[in-house]
Amino acid sequence: MEQSQETSWVLLVYKIPREPTSSRALVWRKLKRLGALLLHDAVWVLPATPWTREQFQWLAVEIGELEGEAYLWESHLLLNGLAEALAQQFQARVDAAYQEILSELEQEEADLVVLSRKYQQVRAQDYFHSALGTHVRERLMRARGGFAS
Amino acid sequence: MKWVTWEQVGVDRMACAWLITKYLDPEAEFLFVPAGQKPLPEGAEPFDIPGVRLSHHRGHCTFYTMLRVYDLRDPVLERMARVVDEADTVQDVMLEPAASGLDVLCRGIRRISPDDWVALERGRLLYDALYAQLQAEATEGGSEAVGRGSEQSFDVSL
Repeated sequence: MEQSQETSWVLLVYKIPREPTSSRALVWRKLKRLGALLLHDAVWVLPATPWTREQFQWLAVEIGELEGEAYLWESHLLLNGLAEALAQQFQARVDAAYQEILSELEQEEADLVVLSRKYQQVRAQDYFHSALGTHVRERLMRARGGFAS
Repeated sequence: MKWVTWEQVGVDRMACAWLITKYLDPEAEFLFVPAGQKPLPEGAEPFDIPGVRLSHHRGHCTFYTMLRVYDLRDPVLERMARVVDEADTVQDVMLEPAASGLDVLCRGIRRISPDDWVALERGRLLYDALYAQLQAEATEGGSEAVGRGSEQSFDVSL
């Protein structure tokens, strides 16, 4: 896991009208797809990269268009150890998803097309480069059968 | 005229610059400012910067917005917009396998280019190529044929 004291985080807090529910669901699905973590039912957080920064900015604008209100910050954690703990939360979720792929690969007649797509989706959220990801990739390569290399 | 956007161009900004030079303003002059810098330079049309007219709207990329704003009706451009949407924004439905590859290539082009001007220049070839290929597929009318205006339209009022 790659991690340093200097990790900065992008934080999103937003409010959106209760109706239509489709708008709320849209924003929620996007946050899920980005792999953002919801802390204490209050703040959505992602490690800051040029990409996550930009995605959160666009999402904040989109929330405004849906007649909601969004605040977006970039910050550092000031308490020792919390950055590591937070990174581990991201890692744990990604590892669980990788583990799921691995168990499905154990099944007879595993659907490799579906599983490799799932792998790509998980990898897009793997901000701390889990070692398990490399393992899943190798397993998928081996599962396709045929020539070894 | 002058056009301004954030520096470190990627898939959407390269696509927009290609569109601008090819369809809107052959003499276009591009300016780049650091991400987040305000105020933006006077007398230049900003694009792909959060909050401006020519940017993401309703989950669509800036390229898509520009087709609407400038009323460019071309099914091949529409399909390019779909590709850029999937490359640059979070989408639930993924229909264009070219999308993630295009994103990677644009990032790579910026990496090997000394500045954003050179990156835009080099990116043109990619978008000329993409246009030509999608156009050929449309003419052949295979399963990849372009949609027939099924994308919903919207008004950009800012």
